[in-house]
Amino acid sequence: MNGEFVTLLRPYLKYAGDQEITGDARLRDLGLDSMRAIELLFAVEDTFGVVIPDEKLTDATFETARSLWSVIEELRAPARTGQA
Amino acid sequence: MSAEAADPVGLTCRIAEKHARETDLAATFPDQALDAMRRTGLLGLMVPAEFGGGNGTLADLADTTVRLGRADMSVAMIFAMHCQQVVALSRYGCDKLRSQVLPGVAEGRVYLASVTTESGKGGHLLTSQSPVENIDGVLQICREAPIVTGGMHADGFLITMQTPGATSPAQVDLVYAARDQLRVEPRGDWQPLGMRATQSLPLRLTGSVPDWHIIGEPGDFRSIATQVFAPLAHIGWAAAWLGTAAGACSRVVQHLRSASGRSHVSPASELLLARLAAARARLDVVHALLRHTIRVVESQDDLSGPPAQLLINTLKTQAAEDCFAAVNELVELTGLRHGYLAQSPLRLERAFRDLRSASLNYANDRLRLANGSLSLMDSDVCLA
Repeated sequence: MNGEFVTLLRPYLKYAGDQEITGDARLRDLGLDSMRAIELLFAVEDTFGVVIPDEKLTDATFETARSLWSVIEELRAPARTGQA
Repeated sequence: MSAEAADPVGLTCRIAEKHARETDLAATFPDQALDAMRRTGLLGLMVPAEFGGGNGTLADLADTTVRLGRADMSVAMIFAMHCQQVVALSRYGCDKLRSQVLPGVAEGRVYLASVTTESGKGGHLLTSQSPVENIDGVLQICREAPIVTGGMHADGFLITMQTPGATSPAQVDLVYAARDQLRVEPRGDWQPLGMRATQSLPLRLTGSVPDWHIIGEPGDFRSIATQVFAPLAHIGWAAAWLGTAAGACSRVVQHLRSASGRSHVSPASELLLARLAAARARLDVVHALLRHTIRVVESQDDLSGPPAQLLINTLKTQAAEDCFAAVNELVELTGLRHGYLAQSPLRLERAFRDLRSASLNYANDRLRLANGSLSLMDSDVCLA
């Protein structure tokens, strides 16, 4: 997980307070509800230039910081290969 | 075979109907109807066969609840919510808890109530501000709940609480407590417009239970809510509302066809026919949505995706609106004397008051907000 992603996440996690957001951080436990999830989705797509397909918009994707990050990474991977 | 064994639902309906007026007037619990549900085994409908229950399907639950709703909406709601607790416990409780509680439910000794409301959380199902401490494997419960249907009559409770050691209100557990493990104190009165016989009093529950009474993975009430609690609540409520509206419609049609009805209103009146058709259409639409939702819930292992969630929520919002609107239409159709007076044998006045609760009972407004977000997550509009 990069620092930009963690900074982006924090405002959507109303119960996170000052605690460190690790890969295992459970997003729902930290206050991500369905309303915030859609706002987070838009922020992720704008920031990382990806479009998360509908079939990835499941509870599993939004379970932890790592699970969401891995979906973003997966979608960014082909672009990076293209640039290399 | 006795009449009771042959048709437990019919017997319960007859008893519920007989006492509905007095329990509505006094806003008291339908003791006689609950007793009938105990005696006939109806309380055990959704208990798995291995524990001596009826092994009922969601269709069985809906059929039964619709029939009860025709007699008394409060009784139907009480039954449906009990079944919701039974299914949650059957699917997510540990073996020890299941074998301790479910045989009693099957035998009619245990009626289960749900404790999910909390003041100050705006009806949010998935959060709790009530902490629970785990001291050497014993959970200390102290829970205030503003609305607990049948709480003073229940033999066991499924209670949402913050998981022990929770760091946020979104870490919630569902905990089982038997009546004799709790002190149950009423904290106020129940004087609502409708569904008065649910006697949904504000309660304070205090006591302690062993930690294996936590149902499901610690902190993961969310999974139970997604897979069981929300779908069964919406299916059960929709069935209760549909039964109430269908019962009202049936009484109106019987009245219109009777000699005395025909002497007042001509069945050839186009206004009457158009209004009757509109009311009936709403019932058929809700019925179709109910059956379709049951098929989807039974056929999908994971109900967390937006299409399934949208459908399950829409069943609730649509049934709430259409069943109330159908009865409102019937009131208009039958007029002041038969539609509006409490003593009319058509009983539209009570159905109207009862069904007015439907959009508020887990607020339609809240579900629409959720469905708006879910719609944005389904750009292909995959219809479940």
